[in-house]
Amino acid sequence: MKRFVYINDDSCQNSYCDNRISNTKYTLWNFLPKNLWEQFRRFMNQYFLLIACLQLWSRITPVSPATTWGPLIIIFIVSASKEAWDDYNRYLSDKKANERKVWVVKDGIHRQMKAQEIHVGDLVWLHENDEIPCDLVLIGTSDAQGICYVETAALDGEIDLKTRVIPSISANLSPEQLGKVKGVVECPNPDNDIRRFDANMRLFPPIIDNEKCPLTINNTLLQSCYLRYTEWACGIAVYTGNETKSGMSRGTAEPKLTAADAMIDKLTVAIFMFQIVVVLVLGFVGNIWKDTRGLKQWYLMYPAKGPWYDFLVIPLRFELLCSIMIPISIKVTLDLAKAVYAKFIDWDEQMFDHETRTPAHSANTAISEDLGQVEYILSDKTGTLTENRMIFRRCCISDTMYGNDNGDAVKDVRLLNAVSSNDPDVIKFLMVMALCNTVVPIKSNDGTVSYKAQSQDEEALVNAASNLNMMLISKDSSTAEICFKGSKFYYKLLDILEFTSDRKRMSVVVKEGQTGKILLLSKGADEAILPCSYPGQQIRSYLEAVEMYSQLGLRTLCLGWRELKEDEYKDWSKKFQEASCSLDNRECKIAEVCHSLERDLHILGVTAIEDRLQDGVPETIKLLRNAGINVWMITGDKQNTAIQIGLLCNLITSEPNGQLLSINGNSEEEVLRSLERALVTMKTTRETKDLAFVLDGWALEIILKHSKESFTRLAMLSRTAICCRMTPLQKAQLVGLLKSVGYLTLAIGDGGNDVRMIQEANIGVGISGREGLQAAGAADYSIGKFKFLKRLILVHGRYSYNRTAFLSQYSFYKSLLICFIQILFSFLSGLSGTSLFNSISLMAYNVFYTSLPVMTIIFDKDISETTVLQYPQILLYSQAGRLLNPSTFSGWFGRSLYHALVIFLITICAYADEKSEIDELSMVALSGCIWLQAFVVTLDTNSFTYPQIILIWGNFVAFYMINLILSAVPTLQMYTIMFRLCSQPSYWITMALIVAVGMGPVLAFRYLRNLYRPSAINLLQQIEQTNGCVQTSRDLEPALESARSNLTNLLTGLCRNRGLNYQPLLSDSAEAAR
Amino acid sequence: MSLSGSESDSLASRRSKKPKYSKFTQQELPACKPLLTPGIVIGAFSLIGIVFVPIGLASLSASQAVVELVDRYDAECVSANDKVGFIQDTKTDKACTRTITVPKPMKRPIHIYYQLENYYQNHRRYVKSRSDKQLRYKDSAHMIKNCEPEAASEDGAPIVPCGLIAWSLFNDTYAFSVNKKSIEVNKKNIAWDSDKSNKFGSDVYPSNFQKGDLIGGAKLNDKLPLSEQEDLIVWMRTAALPTFRKLYGRIETDIMASDEITVVIQNNYNTYSFGGTKALVLSTTSWIGGKNNFIGVAYVAIGGICLFLAMCFVVLYVVKPRVLGDPSYLSWNKETPDHPN
Repeated sequence: MKRFVYINDDSCQNSYCDNRISNTKYTLWNFLPKNLWEQFRRFMNQYFLLIACLQLWSRITPVSPATTWGPLIIIFIVSASKEAWDDYNRYLSDKKANERKVWVVKDGIHRQMKAQEIHVGDLVWLHENDEIPCDLVLIGTSDAQGICYVETAALDGEIDLKTRVIPSISANLSPEQLGKVKGVVECPNPDNDIRRFDANMRLFPPIIDNEKCPLTINNTLLQSCYLRYTEWACGIAVYTGNETKSGMSRGTAEPKLTAADAMIDKLTVAIFMFQIVVVLVLGFVGNIWKDTRGLKQWYLMYPAKGPWYDFLVIPLRFELLCSIMIPISIKVTLDLAKAVYAKFIDWDEQMFDHETRTPAHSANTAISEDLGQVEYILSDKTGTLTENRMIFRRCCISDTMYGNDNGDAVKDVRLLNAVSSNDPDVIKFLMVMALCNTVVPIKSNDGTVSYKAQSQDEEALVNAASNLNMMLISKDSSTAEICFKGSKFYYKLLDILEFTSDRKRMSVVVKEGQTGKILLLSKGADEAILPCSYPGQQIRSYLEAVEMYSQLGLRTLCLGWRELKEDEYKDWSKKFQEASCSLDNRECKIAEVCHSLERDLHILGVTAIEDRLQDGVPETIKLLRNAGINVWMITGDKQNTAIQIGLLCNLITSEPNGQLLSINGNSEEEVLRSLERALVTMKTTRETKDLAFVLDGWALEIILKHSKESFTRLAMLSRTAICCRMTPLQKAQLVGLLKSVGYLTLAIGDGGNDVRMIQEANIGVGISGREGLQAAGAADYSIGKFKFLKRLILVHGRYSYNRTAFLSQYSFYKSLLICFIQILFSFLSGLSGTSLFNSISLMAYNVFYTSLPVMTIIFDKDISETTVLQYPQILLYSQAGRLLNPSTFSGWFGRSLYHALVIFLITICAYADEKSEIDELSMVALSGCIWLQAFVVTLDTNSFTYPQIILIWGNFVAFYMINLILSAVPTLQMYTIMFRLCSQPSYWITMALIVAVGMGPVLAFRYLRNLYRPSAINLLQQIEQTNGCVQTSRDLEPALESARSNLTNLLTGLCRNRGLNYQPLLSDSAEAAR
Repeated sequence: MSLSGSESDSLASRRSKKPKYSKFTQQELPACKPLLTPGIVIGAFSLIGIVFVPIGLASLSASQAVVELVDRYDAECVSANDKVGFIQDTKTDKACTRTITVPKPMKRPIHIYYQLENYYQNHRRYVKSRSDKQLRYKDSAHMIKNCEPEAASEDGAPIVPCGLIAWSLFNDTYAFSVNKKSIEVNKKNIAWDSDKSNKFGSDVYPSNFQKGDLIGGAKLNDKLPLSEQEDLIVWMRTAALPTFRKLYGRIETDIMASDEITVVIQNNYNTYSFGGTKALVLSTTSWIGGKNNFIGVAYVAIGGICLFLAMCFVVLYVVKPRVLGDPSYLSWNKETPDHPN
């Protein structure tokens, strides 16, 4: 499973594809068959195709085949043209990328060619700000140290610059030599892991170096990144075209099915079964009628003996007659409505983050209804609830705590004194802060240094160190320069032992420029560093400091160092080299080697970094919890920090109104026992008490292994949970656990570690925040701030659900209505399967008359946004699916049956005897349907805006216009019919009668229910109306503002009562707390 | 440096991402939200009642003013026990005389209908069995695809007009005399003008019609074009219900009360084999059409019910008043929250 890339050797790698990027799904030739195949994989389409094919058999079809073929073809054309348009746009953007000019060096000659002509093994020459056309192994740069900077935002969304270095083997090659270099790169087959590239490279003579040189992701330039701050760089193409890392990670996401969609599917199946029963019964009775009475009707000339399939003809006819029970247009209608819901989210000005200038965006247009049915929210902490703007606040250096008095260690006089008096521990502490990181200092033209870092914590630490006179001035792949009190110190960077989420620490090995001492500098989480201390070191004070800081909601890191002996380092370095070269299981091997070095550390101290809560988080969580949504916080952070943040943002309540059940222990048994205890407490405690449980990643691992069931039960009982120390995989596992018991989950996060959780959940929401756009890219919805979640769920989600609930059930109602009339008519036509309506009317009924007015429901609001946000409990209605379920559907079913009876009976009574001409009578019945449905939509619309009024009644007018026009065409069956009807007073009287009888009981029933058994929605509508003012949600802002300040006071008091050394993270002044 | 350019570009593109504010995009279009308040609902029901009752009474009186005489003759006109055998025998004289006494004066024009019951003109085999093209165009005589089993004669020549509908044309005839004095029945203009001018061709003549072994109904005059065969045109406007009336002709003179109408019926049409009935109907018309009490009765009844409901609602509202929009009714404000979870 390896790929050998021969550099600049055209003869060896013909088998690899060229660099032509293709994101298109179709080609010109396979579009039609492939698209048809895709569309016909849906059950509904197969069903309608079968119906349409049956209609071609003229012996059984009651209406012209056009009634099904027409809509079916229209629907197909609509979906196909949408696909074609999307694909064409992809083709255009591909073409642009493919035809971009790039420089390629062949045998020392620079040539310009199209990007698509690059082959594996070519040497690509890039200039500053060029986009990288394919995956390259970097072998030369303009920089003397062999580094270059790339911007990877397009790949992983991280906006900071990354450093890339050339492998040691190709250092010291002149640009001329580079152009002629020959060699072989041994690399894995293409994959989509943008963090790994485990490969080797060997160069051929004249460069004599037979050593295999290891390559990592740091030696690569990946497609779609940009070269920055580097004059030129060159690299060997190893993966091209669609086989690049970015190409492989592009995947088409599986379409998600919303709970409402699943319910609609279920109802469709139910209707389908009902239809089969109707068809069988009517077919059976029809055959009996034919054999008994039909044969006597001489004018029908029934042959005494028909063909063998005769007994099938009548049932099949009824099948075709009843096929309209399942509305053919429901899919298109719903897709259209969903697209509009998604647009409303994109357009929403109140979800526009003015600070970062990002609007909300719904990448997935198909799942807005699910937002209104969310039951569990699983939220990341850092960057989601908090701002992810790290500020160094406190530290503890050799038993002395700094920053306790004023809440800012950088301004703590004692620390400043310690720095100026050259306290060795403090200096070492600052040195680790400045050096043990992967920060890139960027010197601007005016001499000031700014830092680009992948981790916000590191940036905060380096900035704090520089404020304390320990300034990191420059850094490249091998050296770092530090300026302390004006004098410069040089360090040789020997190795970087990288941070991984398993190791939870990172280290660097440096050689001091002046003394030549080799030092190991480490930093990491307390539980990852403190156990590595040398035997005999007192770490109690550090543990206390960690405990205290995390109770304040601060993020802590422990720093340590150790001096390495020359030969110890050499031994280790060899092993490290080996591990770095291994092609398989490299990460694990490296971790093992690293661990062997990171021991016997002198612990220097603890840093505490503040991460402030985002604006509006406590109110949002309170609102969401009031709305009946269970909110879980899932974080990689420490338990105490997490609990503190949980308290601050209303997630958990302190004693006596709340209780936090901790699930932990030192052994598996203890953990499982505490789980059982928590479960018992959860079951027995009063409902009013706010219970929550807290557990960490270790406990979760044990629980998932041994006691998944009781944990699931606990999860179902608990409204709140705090899960800390979670790995990305565990986050996703928790989501999966809740999903597996049927809850609708929403995961929200901002960083790369949340991506799995976001993809696993029913709805993934990404915060387009400071940790890059990775989460936002993977998510269904991206928002700028956590506080917009309340609007996303309560306003957009709720409205979308309500609208879809009406739209889908109405689609069934209108189809059932016309179908019931056909069935009723069949009882009067000898059960022979005659269609009462002509083909044109049937087709137009589904496509025009009934689908347009109902689309106006996408503007409908049952209660205003303000009221929803005021009474979030109302979400329960959509959450529990109370507006779209078998019971509401049976209401619609009953209504359609009733309306069909009303229309049919009144029509045949009013148009009896000499008026019973079939064309006239069918048009009367059809008009009855149109009249009734206009009133049904009107009655079920909660708020009328002008598009609604125009569409509902415009459609009504359009019906008469269309039919009058059709009545003027002499060749049509309905020639003159509408003119005749419109001139009869009895026609209009009949219509009024149908409306009165059809709508009267519905109106009376609804009135009585609204008045005497109102639902909460009705009540809120009434409250809204009787209070007489229609507020826009803009008016709500002042009210929210005051609520926010009240809450802050409340929280301050609350925490003071607990007797904690508490510093409010919501307010800036430390004095306010004390 | 080019970077600053691209940065400002990206900033500008970000700016433009800000959603444009409009009442439409923010879903803030001015809306009116009518509530089903007692006032509106009681008002609506009262209004329906007040409007419906008079309309109902007017329709009812119009319907009552229509004089309609129905005379079912299928049983009485056949004395033989084997009714089917009698009707199928082409040789017997099927004339039958009926006498009707007019109870009220009838103003002209008096419409003469024949009424068939239990006759499924709406049966699928039947309604499909015609060729509109053939009826309209001279050159389309061969378009008989749908006309089976009455499509072509035995030698393969197309039947014009083909199909079961035409083949089973009603063939009873009526001759009227009032007080022993014979009166003329006007059989002109009994079909729709639009049918005569646009559905049935003036240059299409019957051919091969009723020439087969089985004779269905009436024969047509081969010399008359289809557009003038009005009985056929009327018959081919198929009825939607198994009980229907079709216009036979009109009497253009007034008939006084207690006049005696004598009808000589040629009782040819076979309704006996399937248990159908035949009746002769004489009727005047009004603005609402023929005699049909249904609309009048329904309107009065619905109007009455609406008024009654409105009254009930008023009483209910007085007895059990309910404050609209009282937040205390909200379930989560009640003492015992009925949380469905």
